[in-house]
Amino acid sequence: MAATSMKDIKLRIKSIESTMQITKAMQLVATSKLRRAKERMEQSRPYAQIAREAVVTASLNCADPSIPYLVQQKDRKDCYIIIAGERGLAGGYNNNLFKAQLAHAQDREYCVLPIGRKAIEKYHRLGVQVLDDSYAAVESLNVSSCYKIAKQLLQQFKEGNFGNLYLVYTSFKSMMSQEAEIMQLLPVLTDASTGKERPVSTIYDPDAAEVLEKIMPDYLAGTLYSATCNSFLSEVASRRSAMDSATKNAGEMINDLRLKFNRARQGAITQEITEIVAGAEQ
Amino acid sequence: MAETFHLQIVTPDKPVFDGTAEKLIVRTITGDVCILARHIDYAAALGIGEARVTDGEGNTRIAACNGGLLSVCDNQVRVMATTFEWADEIDTERARLSLDASQEALNKADRSDANYAALEAKLKRALVRVQISE
Repeated sequence: MAATSMKDIKLRIKSIESTMQITKAMQLVATSKLRRAKERMEQSRPYAQIAREAVVTASLNCADPSIPYLVQQKDRKDCYIIIAGERGLAGGYNNNLFKAQLAHAQDREYCVLPIGRKAIEKYHRLGVQVLDDSYAAVESLNVSSCYKIAKQLLQQFKEGNFGNLYLVYTSFKSMMSQEAEIMQLLPVLTDASTGKERPVSTIYDPDAAEVLEKIMPDYLAGTLYSATCNSFLSEVASRRSAMDSATKNAGEMINDLRLKFNRARQGAITQEITEIVAGAEQ
Repeated sequence: MAETFHLQIVTPDKPVFDGTAEKLIVRTITGDVCILARHIDYAAALGIGEARVTDGEGNTRIAACNGGLLSVCDNQVRVMATTFEWADEIDTERARLSLDASQEALNKADRSDANYAALEAKLKRALVRVQISE
C-alpha cells in the first residue's frame, strides 16, 4: 500500500513541477514585456490629455450648440468600445472588465466594438451586435488602426446608429492594482463636472465648429490608442502577479507533497525493518 | 534675445518637443501661421505641410507636420499633430518610394472613387515629406 501511494505522490510532484515551469515562464515573459508597455503608456498619455482638453474647449466655444457631437440622443442605443486581452491567465483582468461593462449597460440596448480576442469571443457568445471583429490583437494595435476605428465609429455616429459612445478599458493604477473604467467619448461632456470655464477670448480659425469637426478623429484615435496602451500594461501587470502567485502556490504544494513522500518512504522502511526483525526472532 | 514661449508638440504615440521656443510656423487648413511669444489665445486645425520651430537657443528645425490642432492659450503653445517628423529623421529613400507608390495609386484611381480624397491627401503628405527631407 505504501509503495502505490509513494508512486502517486511522485507523479503528482512531477506534474506540478511542469505546471510551475509554465507559470514561471509566463511570469518572466510578462515581466520583460512590462517595461516596454509602461514606456508606451507614458508616451501616449500627453496626446490623449491634450486632445481631450482641446475638444472640450472647442465644444464650449461652439456658437451652435446643436452640432451632433454635443447633443444627447436619449432614444438611440449605446455603443461600447471594449478593450480586453488577447489571452486569459491574467487573474480577473478580462472578467472584471466585462462585469463593469454589463453593470453599466444594464438593460439598455447596445452594440460593441471589441478589441482583443477575449472580448470578441465574449460578445459573440452573448449575442450582442458586434460592429467589427477584426481587432483581435491588442499588443500590436497601432496608431493608424486606431484612426481607422475612430473614422468608422464617427461615420456610424453621424448616421445615427448609436447616440452614446463609451470606452471600456482597464486603467493601470500600480503594479498591484488595475481598475476597469468606463469613459464617455460621445457626446462630448462639457458640463460643470469637467470644471472648465468658457474661455471666451480664444480665436478659432476658421471657427470652433469646424476645428471641432477636424480634430474629432484625432481625439477619438488618440484616446483609444492611449487606453489601449493602458489596458495592455494592466493586462501584463495583472498576468505577472497572477503567475507570480501561481508559481508560489505550486512551490508550496510541492513542498507539502515532498514532506508526505518522505513520510511515506520512512513509514515503508520502518515497516520493512519491523517485519525483518519479527521474522528473525521467531 | 527674443522673447520665448512654452511649446509642446505631441503625437499619439509620443511627445516630440517640450520646451521653450522663440518662433513657430505651421500650416493650418487656412494657410501658414507664425506664432511668436505673447500671441493672442488662438486655435486652428492643422493641414498638411512644413513646420518650422525656432527653439529658445535660436536654432531652427524643420519638420513635416500633418493634421491635428494648434492651440495657444496664455503663452502656452500646443501642437497636437497626427504625425510630426523632424526633417533629419525622415528616410529620404523611403519617402521617395512612398511618393511614387501614392502617385501611381492616384493615377489608377477613378475620380468618382470614394477613396480619391484620401489618396490625394496621401500623395500630399508624401510630397511634403520628400520636399522637407531634401
